[in-house]
Amino acid sequence: MLNIFKRLWQVNWAEQWQYRANLAMYILYWLVSPIIYLSVWTSIATINGNVKGLTANDFITYYMILLIVDQLTSNIIIHTFGYKVQDGSLSGELIKPIHPMLTNTLVNDIAFKTLNMMLLIPIWIGLALLFKPQFDSVSLGGIALAIPAIMLGYAINFLLSGIITSLAFWTTRVFSIHEFYYALIMLFAGQFVPLKLMPEVIQNIARVLPFQLFMYLPIQMIQGNLSASEITQGYMTGILWLVAALIGFQIVWRKGVKQYSAVGA
Amino acid sequence: MHSFKLISTFIKINVQMAMAYRADTIVNILLNLMWLGWELLTLNIIFSNTQTIGGWGFGELIALLGVFRLVNTMMFALIWPNTEKFNASIRDGSMDYTILQPVNSMFLVTFSRITIWRIWDLILAIVLITVGINISGDLIIPLSIFHFILLATSGVVIIYSLWIVLIALTFWFTKFDNNVTILHALIDAGRYPSTVYPIWLQIIVTFLIPIAVATTIPLQALRGDLEGWRIVMFFAIGIASFIIASRVWKSGLKRYSGASS
Repeated sequence: MLNIFKRLWQVNWAEQWQYRANLAMYILYWLVSPIIYLSVWTSIATINGNVKGLTANDFITYYMILLIVDQLTSNIIIHTFGYKVQDGSLSGELIKPIHPMLTNTLVNDIAFKTLNMMLLIPIWIGLALLFKPQFDSVSLGGIALAIPAIMLGYAINFLLSGIITSLAFWTTRVFSIHEFYYALIMLFAGQFVPLKLMPEVIQNIARVLPFQLFMYLPIQMIQGNLSASEITQGYMTGILWLVAALIGFQIVWRKGVKQYSAVGA
Repeated sequence: MHSFKLISTFIKINVQMAMAYRADTIVNILLNLMWLGWELLTLNIIFSNTQTIGGWGFGELIALLGVFRLVNTMMFALIWPNTEKFNASIRDGSMDYTILQPVNSMFLVTFSRITIWRIWDLILAIVLITVGINISGDLIIPLSIFHFILLATSGVVIIYSLWIVLIALTFWFTKFDNNVTILHALIDAGRYPSTVYPIWLQIIVTFLIPIAVATTIPLQALRGDLEGWRIVMFFAIGIASFIIASRVWKSGLKRYSGASS
């Protein structure tokens, strides 16, 4: 099994490396909205002194950390895998004795992510020089605490995206469904603003959903803003969602593959 | 006259194409409404924490959202589908047929695809602008409205011209099929007054990829914030950029030699 992954990594890494010029453009998409929100909220915090206790520096550090965490927990399988279903090229992968989504697509996504990070880090340092964040509250312990949360967030996001992408076996409208999923992330993950500033109702819903593990919770752990009970609660909710997503994915995948008859058949 | 006839034909064709996917159209409009809800929620959150942002109030940001939607509609109803078609036509050589038509090729390339349901976005934009101005309580004189329309139009023309230049670059660099990504990526910056951004970002969105010229600046004209000479200047830039874009397009076209040669 390990050999399979190693080989898949070599293939997918080489494939992604080919497209490294396109990556620069992709990173650009990634950077714009956090920078916009950072600017909006720091300007508000500067006028008013603070926003519900958050200073301009709190916002700067929040979005600077978000740039990295968001990159780590997200995936692009709706694009890579969705097309394979639509143009029928999935057929070739289905006859292999390994799970197409949980091996090849997963490794491809991680290769893409690794390459992205290599490009993002120098840009991130540049942005840090421009915005001058003060990472006083960030500790090694906080980062260590956030790493499993980021991995959990990535796993849940990958499986939920996997479920949505698998709907391509039935419908051609997966991109619309995915847009809705993306809207949920916008609303509940803390991308626009730290969830603390969201209306109470949204915060309460966010607590039982997995989306805050994609951004808000890991960022707060790194910033050292969470109490022990909040951290345990976050992890517990996340693990429950991981199990649910895993079961859900298996069911949808099995039914979907049976449904699949390839293009042209 | 001729081009009006052509545009109405294009619209007709595109309506027919949209009718083939009726359910998609409905889903898209629903998603669009969802994003409108999200945008209004974000403004609500912003203004429950502050009185002004970049010197502007709640109503003014609603109006800005309307202006932003005008530009955004152009992005998704016109720029996006036509660029896709254009890039494909350069790759497979079907650009040949476009050039053979007895009509201005720039016109054909930029208007043949129109995502019809997005027209509803234009109505929404006008509603947002009107409602926003009413909420803001700004005193608007007819002359400001005229300035606003003038600068919004020239702002849209500037973005259109930049688009022409970007796709025309494909004639020189055939592999440049990321041509409008930079425009697409930065367009969201138009949601907020450019005065909230750090200087370097202000410079980018005003001079390099002038999203703010099409969003923030027309609204400043509406509020009466702009001096007369600036209004004239931005309008002149609009005309100049269109002329430059047409030139670039023509010299790019000369370099086109089909896909197989």
